Amino acid sequence: GFVIYWFVSRDKEETLPLEDGWWGPGSKPSAKEDESIRPFKVETSDEEIKDLHQRIDRFRASPPLEGSRFHYGFNSSYLKKVVSFWRNEFDWRKQVEILNQYPHFKTKIEGLDIHFIHVKPPQLPSGRTPKPLLMVHGWPGSFYEFYKIIPLLTDPKTHGLSDEHVFEVICPSIPGYGFSEASSKKGLNSVATARIFYKLMSRLGFQKFYIQGGDWGSLICTNIAQMVPNHVKGLHLNMSFISRNIYSLTPLLGQRFGRFLGYTEKDLELLYPFKEKVFYNIMRESGYLHIQATKPDTVGCALNDSPVGLAAYILEKFSTWTKSEYRELEDGGLERKFSLEDLLTNIMIYWTTGTIVSSQRFYKENLGQGVMVHRHEGMKVFVPTGYSAFPSEILHAPEKWVKVKYPKLISYSYMERGGHFAAFEEPKLLAQDIRKFVSLAELQ
Amino acid sequence: QAIFCLPRSFEYSQNNAVLVPAAALGVGGLLLYWLRSGRKIKTIDMGDGWWGSGERPLKGKEDTSIRPFKVETSDKEIEDLHRRLDQFRFTPHVEGAAFHYGFNSSYLRKVVAYWRNQFDWRKQVEALNKYPHFHTTIEGIDIHFIHVKPPYVPHGRAVKPLLMVHGWPGSFYEFYKIIPLLTEPAKHGLNEGDVVFEVICPSIPGYGFSEAPHQKEFDSIATARIFHKLMNRLGFKEYYLQGGDWGSRITTNMAQMLPQSVKGLHLNLVFIAKQSLGRLICIMLGAYIPWLVGFSREDARRFYPFMQKNVFDVLRESGYLHIQATKPDTAGCGLNDSPVGLAAYILEKFSTWTDKSFLHKDDGGLESKYSLDELLTNVMIYWVTSSIVSSMRFYKENFSKDPDLSAHNRVGVYVPTGIAAFPQELVHVPWVWAKDVYKNIISYSYMPRGGHFAAFEEPKLLAQDIMQFVQKVEQL
Repeated sequence: GFVIYWFVSRDKEETLPLEDGWWGPGSKPSAKEDESIRPFKVETSDEEIKDLHQRIDRFRASPPLEGSRFHYGFNSSYLKKVVSFWRNEFDWRKQVEILNQYPHFKTKIEGLDIHFIHVKPPQLPSGRTPKPLLMVHGWPGSFYEFYKIIPLLTDPKTHGLSDEHVFEVICPSIPGYGFSEASSKKGLNSVATARIFYKLMSRLGFQKFYIQGGDWGSLICTNIAQMVPNHVKGLHLNMSFISRNIYSLTPLLGQRFGRFLGYTEKDLELLYPFKEKVFYNIMRESGYLHIQATKPDTVGCALNDSPVGLAAYILEKFSTWTKSEYRELEDGGLERKFSLEDLLTNIMIYWTTGTIVSSQRFYKENLGQGVMVHRHEGMKVFVPTGYSAFPSEILHAPEKWVKVKYPKLISYSYMERGGHFAAFEEPKLLAQDIRKFVSLAELQ
Repeated sequence: QAIFCLPRSFEYSQNNAVLVPAAALGVGGLLLYWLRSGRKIKTIDMGDGWWGSGERPLKGKEDTSIRPFKVETSDKEIEDLHRRLDQFRFTPHVEGAAFHYGFNSSYLRKVVAYWRNQFDWRKQVEALNKYPHFHTTIEGIDIHFIHVKPPYVPHGRAVKPLLMVHGWPGSFYEFYKIIPLLTEPAKHGLNEGDVVFEVICPSIPGYGFSEAPHQKEFDSIATARIFHKLMNRLGFKEYYLQGGDWGSRITTNMAQMLPQSVKGLHLNLVFIAKQSLGRLICIMLGAYIPWLVGFSREDARRFYPFMQKNVFDVLRESGYLHIQATKPDTAGCGLNDSPVGLAAYILEKFSTWTDKSFLHKDDGGLESKYSLDELLTNVMIYWVTSSIVSSMRFYKENFSKDPDLSAHNRVGVYVPTGIAAFPQELVHVPWVWAKDVYKNIISYSYMPRGGHFAAFEEPKLLAQDIMQFVQKVEQL
C-alpha cells in the first residue's frame, strides 16, 4: 500500500492556484478596469536635476576606518569619487534619452499601473514570428539591467549571432519598483506579481512565451511556471533560491563525499570551504535582507531622502555580488565590470520615482512570515527549464539541487565568468545560454 | 586451601590499610587544590590600544589634562537642519501598516512638523549644558563625559562614585533625569538609607561628543579599558558601575578586567549566550514545571511562549543588528545625510523596545512614555556630531570577533552584582541563568514596569533599585 502510494504521489504535477487581487488605494471600484495599453516616455525637468545637485552638494560624509576597504560596507573615500562624477559629469538628460530608446508602456492590472518596455525585432526573415520572451529584474536592479542584452536577443544577426532565434522582449517593472505603481495594500508578494505579469502577457496577446529571471525575477518566473505551466514554453534562470531539501545539507558531509553524491569538480570548487563560502558568506551578506524583511519603511526612509546614501546602499551590492573578492579593493572593483553611467542610471530610476521603500517592502511580503510558509516553496516546477550557473553568484547551486525543484531541467551551464547581475555584466554570455536553452526547449 | 586464603588476605589488607587514608588524603588534597584554583578569580587581560589617526607617536607622553567642554550650536547648523527637514521626501505607507513595516510615515510627518516648527535646539543645548561636560585624551582619542557632583553633601557622608554607561541608539543624555535622583535623593523623595552618588557618564568612543576611533577593532574591551583609565585619571580607585545595552557589556568587561576597582555592578540588561543541550531541556521543561529548572512564576510569565518571545520577536527586531554588524558604513551613509531618516531609524527603537505592543499603534506609542523634545534631543546628538556611522561600527567590531558574545561569559563576573529585570526588555534572562556568568548576584529585582531604555523611561524605579543594591553592597 505504501509502495503504491509512493509511486502515485511522486512528482504529482500540481499547479499554483490563480486567484485574484486588488492593490490600489481605497476600495476597489465597481466599474471594470481600464485595460488600455498607454505609451509612456521617461521625462525629467530642470527642477529634478537641480534638486539632485543640491542634495549631492550638501552630502555629509563619514571618514572610513584606516585600511577598511569594502569590509565595512561602501568605502566613503571611493564614494567621494562617485559623487563627484555624478555631480559634474553624469548627464541625466542624456541617460533619459537612452532609456527612451526602447518603447515604454503602462497598463492597469489589479488596480496598479504596470510599467514595461516592449522591444520587437527590427528585422525578421520572412514568414517567421519572433519568440515572446518575458524578462524579470530583481533588487536592487530594474528593467534597465536588460538594455545591453535586448539587442542580442531581438537583433542577433547584427551582433554576430545566428538568426535561428529571434525574440521580442518584454521587461516589466515589479510593482513598487521604478515606473510601476506601488501597492497600497499589504501582501503583494511574488505570487501576486507572477499573476500580474501573466495577465500582462495575456493582454499583449501572447498565449505561449518564454520567461527569464534572476534575483526576485527568478522567483517570480518560477511562480508563473507553477501557476500557468501550459503557457510557459520554457523557463530560464540565472539564480535559484536555496531549495529546502535534503540535498542542500549534503555538502556538510565534506568534500570527499561530494563526488559520491554527484557533485562535479566545479561544484566542489564553488562550495568549499563550506563554512566560508556558504555559511559565513550568507551571514555577512544578508544584513540588508534581514532589515528589509522586517522594517522596510524604517531602512528606506533615509534612502529616499539622501541620493548619495541610496547610491552607497545599492552600489555596495553591485560590487560585492559581482565578485565577493571585490571587498578587498579600495574602490570595490565597481568600474571593472560596469560604467558609472550605467550604475548611476539604475540608481536614478529608484531616486526619481521615489520607489526605494516600496521596493524593500517586497522582502517583507515574501520573507516576513518566515521560510517555507508559502505553498509555492514546497511545489516543484514542471516546464522545460534552463539554468546558467555564474561562478561569482552569491551562492552556487549545483545541478543536483536545481533538478530537485525543476525536474524538467534540460540545460545546466557552468558559465565562464560573471556574478549576480548576469544580464548587466555579461549580456553576451547570458544571451548565448538563453539561445542554447531555447534550442533544446523547442525540441520538447 | 580456601580457609588458608582468608587469614592471608586479612593480613594483606592490614598492611595495606595505610594506603587507604594516604589515598584519601591525596585525593582530598587534589580536590581542595582544584576547588581553590577554580575559585581563583579569572580576569580578562587589560591590554592596551591606540585609536588616533596614523601611527602612534613614539615620543612624548599623552596629554592627560581634563578640559571643560560646552555643547554649542550655530545659526548655520540650525538653518541646515531646517532646510533638510523642509525637503524631506515622504513615502506613503500601506494601508493598516501601523508600526509593522517600521516607522509609520504618517506619524513621521507629525514628528517632522514638530521638529521644524516647535523644537528649540538652542534651548535644548542649554539644557544639555546644565551638567558640567569635559574632554580628555585617552589612547589617542578625545573622550567626552559629564561629571555631576552632589550640590550638597550631608556632614560625614561619603559620596559614592558611579560610572553609568549608555548604549545604542542612546547617549549620555538618557541619564539626565536619573542623575538628580542619585546626586540629591532626599530632595526627590528618595531616602534609600542615605546613599549619595557623584555620577560620571562618558560617551562611548564614536558616539556623540567622544571622538571616533580611527583604527579597526575598537570593541567593548577597549572601551572598558579606556573607561577604567578615565576613572583613574579622575582620582577614583574604587567605584560602582551601571549599564544597559552596550553599557551592560562594557561595564561587565570592566568588572572582569579590574574586579578590585569595581565595588558593585548594576545592570538593567543581561547578555547571556544560551547554547547547550542542558539549556534546551531547561527551556522545554520550564514551560510546564518552571520550579524544577529554577524559574520563578514571574520568570515563566516573561519568558514564555519561548518561540514567540525569544526567537520570532528577536528575529523581527534584529535586522538593524545584522546590517550594522556587517555593513555599518553602508547602513549609516544615508542616515548621516538625512536627519528625518536618522530620526525614523532611531525612534523606531524607542517605540518598539519600550513596549512590544506599540507595534500595533499608528503613532508607535512614542509620546505615551517620552516627550518629543527629549527624543529629538537624543537624535540631535547623533546628528550634530555626525556619529551615526561610527556608532554602528561598534556592532561590527564586537560581533565579528565574537558572534554570540560568549567568550567573556566564560570568564565570569565575581564582583557584587545587581540586576534590574524590566518587564518590556527585549529578552528576559532568569536569575538561574544569569548566575552562570554573574557569580555574585546579591540583588535581582523584577521591576513592575518599563522597557529597554530604563533610565530614560523609569528613572525613579531604576534609581531606587540602584540604591537598594548599593546599600546591600555596603553592608557586605
